[in-house]
Parts: sequence; structure tokens; C-alpha cells
Amino acid sequence: MPEVVVSIGPQHPALKEPVNFKVIADGEKIVRLELDLSYNHRGIEKAAEQRNFIRVLPLLERVCGICSHSHATVFSKGIEEIMGLSIPPRAQYIRTIIAELERMHSHLLWLGVAAHVIGFNTLFMWTWRDREAVQDTLEEMSGNRVHYGMNEIGGVRRDLTPAQVEAALARLPVLEERIKKYVEMVNSEETMLIRFRDVGKMSREEALKYGAVGPTARASGVDYDVRRDDPYLAYAEVPWNVITDTHGDVYGRTRVRVGELWESTQIVRYCLENLPAGPIRVDAPKTAPKGEILSRYEAPRGELAHFIRTNGTDKVERVDIRTPTLANWTSVAVCLVNQNIADIPVIVAAIDPCLSCTSRLTVVNRVDKVGR
Amino acid sequence: MTRPVTVETITERMKEFGVVEQVRKNRIRVKTVPDRIHDAITTSQAMLGFDRLITISTVDNGETLELLYHLIGSHRIIISLSIELPRDKPVTPTVSDLLLPAGIYERQIHDLFGITFEGNPNMKKIILNEDWPGDEFPLRKDWTPGPDVFYGGIRVEKREGS
Amino acid sequence: MAVPDTGMSRRLVNWARAKSPWITVYNSGACNACDIEIIACLMPRFDVERFGILVKGSPRHADILIVTGHVTLKQASRLRRVWEQMPEPKYVIAMGACGAAGGVFHGLYHMMACVDCVVPVDVYVAGCPPRPDEIINAVVTCLNLMAEDAAHGGKEWRRKKPATGADTEGKSCTVIP
Repeated sequence: MPEVVVSIGPQHPALKEPVNFKVIADGEKIVRLELDLSYNHRGIEKAAEQRNFIRVLPLLERVCGICSHSHATVFSKGIEEIMGLSIPPRAQYIRTIIAELERMHSHLLWLGVAAHVIGFNTLFMWTWRDREAVQDTLEEMSGNRVHYGMNEIGGVRRDLTPAQVEAALARLPVLEERIKKYVEMVNSEETMLIRFRDVGKMSREEALKYGAVGPTARASGVDYDVRRDDPYLAYAEVPWNVITDTHGDVYGRTRVRVGELWESTQIVRYCLENLPAGPIRVDAPKTAPKGEILSRYEAPRGELAHFIRTNGTDKVERVDIRTPTLANWTSVAVCLVNQNIADIPVIVAAIDPCLSCTSRLTVVNRVDKVGR
Repeated sequence: MTRPVTVETITERMKEFGVVEQVRKNRIRVKTVPDRIHDAITTSQAMLGFDRLITISTVDNGETLELLYHLIGSHRIIISLSIELPRDKPVTPTVSDLLLPAGIYERQIHDLFGITFEGNPNMKKIILNEDWPGDEFPLRKDWTPGPDVFYGGIRVEKREGS
Repeated sequence: MAVPDTGMSRRLVNWARAKSPWITVYNSGACNACDIEIIACLMPRFDVERFGILVKGSPRHADILIVTGHVTLKQASRLRRVWEQMPEPKYVIAMGACGAAGGVFHGLYHMMACVDCVVPVDVYVAGCPPRPDEIINAVVTCLNLMAEDAAHGGKEWRRKKPATGADTEGKSCTVIP
């Protein structure tokens, strides 16, 4: 059968972000895939070199609207380490709370989108309704639904009042109950099982070879989580578990994310209940000494790395951002070969692509499974 | 390898490739030369268990362009292999045959810094738009947009009422 | 073009358009925040569908185009093409600080100067990102604008004439140096 090129995107109904697939298909089977993802390239890394530490944080938050706290935290964490600052425990806990709330909102969002692409719109509506509870908590704490602006070099900008803590704790039992329901649904709901099982399979060896990170890697049995391996913020003090799964397909990735949702609620609960007293920031010097650091962070989508080099001024010499989606694209191109055309949205959605973050590359994948 | 990999064993093993320093706990920096980067990565993969590439970072040092390959293994120690390339002829062998994800990062660096990776079979433009001039690399320190250069997008001459 | 409401059928079309506007969303280089807030509008809490507002995948079905974010150089021609595919009368809403003037991204090397250089914008929404209720408000504002335009027989009545002597010839909006 002759090969057919099917071009999808950049404007398309399933995923809201601009991405262009050129699918080379043989009948219904995908032979090869070319992805063009750089529609959102803005040039943030260049702009970050020209702004001082106060002005650069809002810019880095806007690398991505879904994991904005991740980018701001990983950057301030790196700069603080270069400056040799130690952050008060209360600030560490507040950052952890926001980080985990962000993970919850991101995973709920993902679960909804994944349900939407398989045509299961009931779950889409449910998860997004429950997500509003998380958004409300974030808005109460930070003043904005998206782009929280909580970080500054040396701590956080806003304190949590007892009333805010109480309100957040009051919302948690409802969320916990809903998440229990989702765990049950993922394992028993026929619609999801049929569309998720054995779709986009990736073995542990492949996940390691192609450098997958985050829930995508953990679903293939790679036990890799920066929060545990290289503890930052308050993660060393909080009891929690790394969720892994051995299925390696979209079903496994769903199970990992739903499991992480539960863990996140427990981390948030622990941090809120054990919030240490004290100041929320220390005075940071305006300039950072010469130095370089590779700052790592477990964003909702996986390991996020900022390579920062400072030169003794109040601006960075270079900040090199490696986003989790970028690391995951090679693996997604591998997953797609020999799959059904109709499964493209599910498999692509399963890595939770964040194209604003990525905006970098084209992956051309040959039949001989070599990521380029 | 039966011995557990520690900072000491890595330092001992990587000494032949250049200056090894321990930057902080669990972080090692090795300064090597472009000709030996392939061997250095092979060694760290095969002997020291560094199986995963975190990222390739690039810094413009003025006279040279510096590449840093950050690798990590199951022992959770990060090794940063650094090489410097001359600015006027930035060419280095690819490592995408050893580490598959490197292919993506190399193409991105090629676009933004103009470093050519010899042996990478797919050194096409990926990150900048189609009309971007091929000899301008925006992340180099001395780059500024030229006044009369067309960088892509839409040329707006005169807006009719449409 | 909207025709002055002479015949019964024209009145019916204008009425139907105002009661159930279809929207298409185009991410022209945003950071996603605006996009997730638009999806949040569809959700049970804000539920724009109760007003008859439907979000459609295809621009050929849409009355209103919501452009989220600043326009990157790569997206400019695509955005123009999407806009050209929409049937008349078409309206454009630019979302957020980026849509209005670039926001934090103003002046970056891979950006167009403004959304307005690529497609004519009718309504701007403030915020980074705007809250879902503000987005709904923007759509409602746009509907009022549609009704006014229909009464005037087109968009021409509110288009400002350039000031005399102003040099608008040959101005390029591609890159801010």
C-alpha cells in the first residue's frame, strides 16, 4: 500500500496548543512521524540575560502557564544556592504547598484532557470542576488563578494566614474523596480501559534509552523522581511515596498520575498542618557571585533543569532551560510507530505535552526506531 | 562493575580526560577537549553507570562557545563534561549515536548558537522560523537584530481596512 | 459583510448570530495560561454553553476568533491564514497583556510587534491571564459590538481616520530592534 502523508495542525481541535504532525501512514498504521513544535518559540533565554533577578522571575514564570511555579522555583533555588542563602523553613513549606497544588491542578487538567481525546467528556467535566477547588485555593493564597508570583530570591512574597490554611484544609477532604473516585474509575471504567490499555507501549529499557522523564518514565518502571533523589524544598521532611507502574502504556501513565494526585493531597495536608512559624524571606543581595549550577526540579510533567551561570552582576550570564516535554518527545515518537492513526491524540496527550515550554524541535522518526 | 560508584571512583576514572573537580556534593565537573568527548561519554556510560543525559547546555564565553553535557546515573551523581569550541569554527563530533536524546538538543544548539555537530544526520532548522537568516544565531552574546533584515513573520506595509 | 437589516431573513441571521456566537481559539505563541482559562470557561462552574457560546475547532465555523498571546514570527502567517478562513462578519478578541502589547515578552527577538499587525483586533481583554469571567465579559462586549456594527452596516463607522500628516506608509511591524 502506498504511504500517505496526513498533516495535522498547528490549529486543531483536540489539543489546544499549536503543534504540527506530519504523519506518514500505511493504511491505518503509522510508519513515521514528523513533529514540528517550535511555534511558541519566543526567545526567553535571551531576554533573561538582559533582566535583573527581580524582573526575570515574572518572565520565567511565563515560560509556561501550567507549570509557572516550577520555573520560578527552580530558578530562585539555583540563584539562592549560588548566593549561599538558606531559606527560612516557612518559605520552603509555602513553596512546597504551591508546588504540590500546582501538580494537582496540572494532573487534574491532564486527566480531563486525556478523557476528552478519547471522547469521555463526562470525566473531562468532572475533573475540571474539581480542579476549580485547587484553583480557588491557589487564588486565595497567591491572588491569581494562574501565574502565582509567589517566589522571590530569598523566600516567598506572601505569607499564609491561619484563615487561608483553614480554608485550604477544608477543601482537601472533598478533593481526596474525588481523587479516590478517579483511582477507582481508572481501574474499572470500561471506556478508559479499552482506549488506554496497550496503547503507546514503552518498555523500561526504551524509556531509559530515549531519556523519558516524569510520569512517562515512572509508568514504565523507571524509579526516578528528583523530589526524592535530590531533595529540595521541604520534600526531605515530608512523608510521601514515589509512584511507579509497570504497565508502560497510557493506562500506566494514567495510574501514575492519579496516584501522584493522591500523594500531592497528602503532602499539602502535611505541610499545611505542620507549617513552621517564622519569617518568610531573607534579604538577598542584589548581585550574585560568579558561579554555575544545574538546578533540578520535579515539575508536574517530569524533571525540569535550569543551567544557570552568573557573572557577579545582578543579571545571569546564561540560563539554559530544559523542559520535561522536550525530554519526552523522543519517546513519544517511538511510541507512535506502528500504532493506529486514531490513537495519536491519546499517545501524545499521555506525556502531557506542554508546548509553550518546549517550542524547540522536530523529531523525525524512522522505521528503524532511531530518534533524531 | 562490582564496586559501588562514588565521587572518588569517578574522579579517579575520569582523570585521564582532563581536570576533574567536585563542585558540590554529588556534582562533578570535568573539563575536557572536543576530540575526547566521545571517549569520555563512552567511558562514563560503560564503566560508571551514567546512562541518562539530562541536557546539553551552551554558554557563550566571548571568545569560545562552551558546551556542557550533564549526565546522571542510578547512583544519582551528576557529571558535567565541559568542552570549549573556538568561536570562528565551532565544530564538534555528535554524541547522538551514544545518547539518543542528544540529537534533539544538538539541533536546538545548532539553531541558536551555530555550533555544527559532525555526524548528526539531521542538522536542519528546528526552532527558529522558516524565514530566519541561516547565518544569524540569536543566543550569541554579540547578536543584535539587524535593522534591514527580514526575520520572518509578516511584512506589514500598509493596512487596508479589512 | 453584514448587510443593513432590511429583509426578514437578514434580521433572523443577525439575531441568531448574536444569540449563539461560535468561537475558535488560536494559540499564537502564548504561555498556555490563557488557553487553560478559556477551557475553564467551558467547565461546569462558568459554563459558557448556557449562553449559546460554543467553542469550535474549525475557524470556518466561527464568528469570533480568540487570539491568545503574543504572535511569534512563526505563527504570524498561520494566524493570518486562520483568520482569512473565517466567514464574514468576523471578530477578533486579543487575550491578556500579551495580546494587547506584548506583556513580558515585549521586544523579544522572535515576536511580532503586536497582534494588530497581523489581524485587526476588535476587543482587548486585560489580565495575565484574564479570569474566565472576564473572558465571558469580553465575548459579551463583542456581541454588543456585532449588534452595533450590524445596525451601521459594517465595521467602517468605528474605524478611526489617520491623523492628517501622519506617516503610516511603509511601516514594518516585524521586529522591534
